[in-house]
Order: sequence, then C-alpha cells, then structure tokens
Amino acid sequence: MNVNKIYPWYFSSGAIVLYLLFIVAPALLGIYYSFTDWNSYSSEKNFIGLEHFRTILAGDPTYLLFIKNTVLFTLITSIAKTVLGLFLALLLVSGVKAANLHRMIIFSPQVLSFLIVGLVFKSLLDPNNGFVNVTLRSLGLDVLAQNWLGSLTWAMPSIMAVDTWKGMGYIMVLFIAGLLAIPRDYYEAASIDGAGFWQKLFRITIPMLMPTITIATVLNITYGLRVFDAVYVLTNGGPGNATDVINTAVYSSFAKGYWGIGSALSTILFVIMAIISFFIIRLMNRKVEY
Amino acid sequence: MRKRFLLSLVGALLLSSLLLAGCNSGKSSEGSGKVTLTFGTSQSGIPRTGIMQTMAKEYEQETGVKIDFQVVPDAQWRDLIKVKLASGEAPDIFNVDVDPLSMPANVRPEENAIDLTNEEFTGRMSEEILPTVSYKEKVYGVSFAPSKIWYVYYNKRIFEELGIQPPTSYAEFKAISQKIKDKDIIPFYQAPASGWYQVLPLFETGPNYEQATPGTYEKLNNNEMKVADLTQLKTVIEQLKEFADLGYFGKDFLSNTVEAGIEAFGQEKAAMLLRVPGTEKEVSEAYPDMKDNMGFFVMPWGDNQTIGVNPGGSAAMFGNKNSKHPEEVLKFFRWITEHDHLQRVFDGGEGNLTICWPEIEPKLTQDYIDYEKNHEKGTVMQAAVKYIDPQWMDIGKDLSGMFAGAMTPDQILQNIDKRRAEQAKVLKDDAWQ
Repeated sequence: MNVNKIYPWYFSSGAIVLYLLFIVAPALLGIYYSFTDWNSYSSEKNFIGLEHFRTILAGDPTYLLFIKNTVLFTLITSIAKTVLGLFLALLLVSGVKAANLHRMIIFSPQVLSFLIVGLVFKSLLDPNNGFVNVTLRSLGLDVLAQNWLGSLTWAMPSIMAVDTWKGMGYIMVLFIAGLLAIPRDYYEAASIDGAGFWQKLFRITIPMLMPTITIATVLNITYGLRVFDAVYVLTNGGPGNATDVINTAVYSSFAKGYWGIGSALSTILFVIMAIISFFIIRLMNRKVEY
Repeated sequence: MRKRFLLSLVGALLLSSLLLAGCNSGKSSEGSGKVTLTFGTSQSGIPRTGIMQTMAKEYEQETGVKIDFQVVPDAQWRDLIKVKLASGEAPDIFNVDVDPLSMPANVRPEENAIDLTNEEFTGRMSEEILPTVSYKEKVYGVSFAPSKIWYVYYNKRIFEELGIQPPTSYAEFKAISQKIKDKDIIPFYQAPASGWYQVLPLFETGPNYEQATPGTYEKLNNNEMKVADLTQLKTVIEQLKEFADLGYFGKDFLSNTVEAGIEAFGQEKAAMLLRVPGTEKEVSEAYPDMKDNMGFFVMPWGDNQTIGVNPGGSAAMFGNKNSKHPEEVLKFFRWITEHDHLQRVFDGGEGNLTICWPEIEPKLTQDYIDYEKNHEKGTVMQAAVKYIDPQWMDIGKDLSGMFAGAMTPDQILQNIDKRRAEQAKVLKDDAWQ
C-alpha cells in the first residue's frame, strides 16, 4: 500500500476515533432513539417505528405550534439582524466619529451570556417596575406600557427584539469586514458616472457583499433554528405555550423523561437544518460575477 | 513498515479506549483510601441554612467519611437525577421529591435504591411518610419532610381596617377581595412566573372533590372517569380566571415570582398569599412590623373548607444501590437519624413546624392545633391521584396561558387528561390499556 496515502489516516486516527465516539455515535444514537419508546421510567427501549413522528407532525397541534414559532422566530430575527447589521455597518464605515468605540459598544452584547442578557431584560421589561414601562409612564405614554413578556401579543416580539439586539453587533462586524474589502475604485468610477447613494448601494455595495450576506444568513438561520436560551430565560415558553420553540419542547420532553419523543423532535430539527443548509450551501457555491 | 504502522494504529486506538475508560472510574473514592460519598440534591432538597453540610463535616471528623454535596438548582435536578439514574452515574446518596404515586416511577427503587426496610430508623419515621418512600412493602427512602399544608395567609391589620373576616366560601372570598382592591391593595398574591404556584388551588382542594363525590380519586386512578368530568375542578379553574379578570391578583401579575411574594406581603402591597406553616417566622424576620399580624385560613376556592394534607411532596434521601460504598451510605443514614441529630436538623432548618419523626416535638402553635381540630382533613389530589404531580409544571403553563387569554378551562382539563394518558401509556398502566 502506498505509504503516502496511509500517513494522513495514521496521523488523524486519534482525532477520527474521538470524532466518531463523541460526534457521530451520539448523533446516530439520537436518531435511533427517536424510533424507540425510551423513557426514564423503564430500562427497556422498544422500537416503535415512526410513532413519535406521527404524534409530532400529525397527532398533536401543540408540536406544530412549536415548529411554527421556531420558523417565525428564525425568519424575523434573521431579517432584522441582517438589515440592522448592514445599516449599522454602513453607518460606521461612512466616517462617523468614534466609529471604533461605537463598534465595540454595539458588538459587546454578543460576548455576554444569554443568561445575563435575559435576566437584565426580564428586569427591564418587568410590567410593574421595569425601566421600559416606568419610562413610558413617566413620559405620559401609559397607553404604550405593556406586559412585554406576559402577554400573548407581546411576548414573542419581545424575545425577538432582545435576540436581535444581542446578535446584530456580530452581523455588523461581518458586514464591516465585507464593506472594507470592496475596492474604492468602483465607488469612484460610479461617482464620476453620476451615481447617487442608492444606486451605489444597490448596484455596487449589496452585490459585492453577497458572499458576506450569505454567510450572515447561514449564521442567523442556524442560530434561529437552534434558539433555546433566549426563550427559556425570558418566558420559559409562556404564557401558555405561546413562545415555545422546538428546543424548549425538546428540553421539556427530556425533563419529563420522555427521551424517545425528545430525540424525535431533535431529529426533526436536524432534518430541517440539513435541508436549509443544503440549499444555502448550493447558494454559496454560485459564483457572483460583476 | 506496514506491520509497524498497523501496530501503531492499534496502539493509538487502545490508548484512546483506555483514556475514555479512565474518565469513568474512581468517581467516589480518593486515592488515599479515604471514602468520599457523593450526595446529590436539589437546592430545596436540603435546608438552606446549611445545617446538613455542617453536620456532614462533623460526621467526617468522627468517621473519616467525607460527604461531598452536589447541590443543583431545583428546576434542573428532577431531570438530571433521571438521566444519572438511567446512565448508572447517580451519586451515592441522592435526594428526590417523593409522593407515593410517582416515587416508584421516578426512582425505580428495585434497580436503584438500597433497601432500608430492616434498618432500625425506618421504624421511627411517621406512618404518614412511609408510603411515600416505600414500594412493594419495602422502605427505600429517608425523609425529614413535614406533612405539607398550604394555607391562605392574610394581613390581620388590613382585614381589621376594612372590617372583613376570613372567608368560608368563594362568594365571601370574592367580596373581601373586592373591598381590598378598592383600597388599592393587591387582594391575593399570585405568582405564575414560577410555573407551579398557580396550580396549588386546583389540587390542594382535592379533598373537597372527594368529599362531594366519594370514590372520585379511585375512579380517576382506574381510568373510570376523566379529569375533564370533575366539575368541581373546572369550577376552581374558572374562579381563578375570574380572580385574574377582576384584578384580584393585581395588574400584570403574570410576571410575579414566588420569591417576591414575601416582599409583597411583608410590605403590605398584597393582603393574602398562599404559604405553608412557618411562614410567620420567615415574614416577620424580614419585616418585623408583620409580627403577630398574620392569620391563616384554608383556601376557599370551590367553597372548600377542608384542609388538604400532602403526606410527602418533599425530598427524601435514597442510597444508591450501585454505589461502591453501600455500607458507608447506610452508616451515614443511621448516624443522621439518631435522635439528637434529627433534632439538630429540625432546629437548624428554615422554620418548618413539624418533621416526619414522631419522636421530635412539633413546634405548631395553638392557632394551628385549634384550626386543624375544627376542620376536616383529606389527602391532596396530587398525592392520591396518579399522573397529576408529574405534569404539575405543564398545568402551570396552561393556567398562565388561560390567564393571558390563550386557553379555556375546558382545554386545560382536556390537556390534563391527555398528559395522564401519555404517562399511563409510558408506564404501561393496565387501567389505560
């Protein structure tokens, strides 16, 4: 056997063993468990086929609500983070004063744990003594004061807003890097041709930023689909199940000891993410030509 | 060359396996030969005062056996211990909240717990607690818990100023709440954000359902009737909703937590709240003005006038059957249940007025003794009807949804039945087959 072909495997064998043991095997086991009635009340694991999947996708409307909430959360926060991140990046590269300081301040929520962010915002959004409502009331805007995390109307938008606030700084930094990589020649040539701000934005900036936009979209979507901590800390899925997402349902299933159905929910999430990732990767592979 | 390569590859694989195996070994003993027992518990499973840890240090000095406490937040422990038991990695001693119905399923004692039936101390525990730590006539757990009773505590000063009396029916309860609300005081402190507190009225008033229609509990357990058919329970849920809609829980109460209740009650922002005996001490320590200013009455939702008693519902210690040190675990149980040590646990705790060891003198005041004499008692529904306690937090979420306008009382009852059926199926309950 050709030694040159063997050596790469030889050197990576340890890593491959660890990868198989800690990444591949648990993932495959998780998928296997989703076809069983595995639970904390019995040591038996019986194969039950697609029963859990039937329950989730056809038998119980609550699960469909969790999937709907997850998709809605992903869609809205992805768009919000991308648009706001791009807006802030354009603002900060346009020569605004103390740009680095602003960049640092806007980015800083990204480094905080959502546990901290969640607790802070729970306090700020407290309907009785929270900063937001107290400020609104002190300005005579009582009508705008809401039960932000406790009402059916406002709970999900509040979580989305907090998540967007936390995540947009990271997207902004990506866009700044992308914007700085665009050669200035294009803009100078466009200016000579008489192009205005909007023309430059839509004809030069956004097309040239497409690879960055794609990366930002991938990150936002995969984060959105995996969301757990934001919901768990801020509302724990309430009121009722109004803000529950797939991962809070997975947590809840595991908490109840229903590990089989929890695994099935995780598998469904995995499949959704795999499909979306497939299309995004295909999109990323398309060359953008100018 | 090739042989050498293959040998190296096999060596690398073996080394990885040995490293992984090493990660799982020697979890409870130290290299010196000194025994360390791991003690896993939720935060509320042991007294917050730290008396158990203090006594464990003394135990270590006496015997050389160290107790290593692993204290986990309440919300995580219930899940974590299930996983640890399933994976065979449970601590040598573990605390689990127990009741006679769900303990066998949660602990699976025959597989996981040391049999304590023949220990001298099991004969000294109260007869009320024994069913909650027993399975198939064998005793597996040790508890210090008191029988739990939830009363409505009220502010005597506010009641006197308004000329109102503790209610004995729902209509009276509503009437006094309106008078309190008219004085800009929150009539009743409710705490849905904690997830479990709002569920208490539904099942603590269970003895009332049983008294109205004897045999209700048995029918529910035999799946001969649905929870949805329990009209009295539906009435209680509707009354809770009415209280919410009338503003008797205060404005925007959905964000309230249990922990903040003492503050609201102590600062006289709320006139009533649900608590257990011993509350007077906790409140008056934080708010001295409240001393001798607290009274209590049985919760009057659904016109209930029966005291609901939960014989278990709190944590009990179990010895891990798969522990490497079962004898040391037993020795610790024998030591901690000696009379003087029980007394110290009781005295050094947060203020419980009773303990499930008859040899320890309770601290119930005459008020409580008289009140209990004048009222009938019964077992709360979650301790007598299967598959209620395990879905407690789910019901809490449903009730929050109802308060917010997302669910109806009928939907809540149907959800309870649906979840009961799910769990019965998991446990292969004959009555549901």
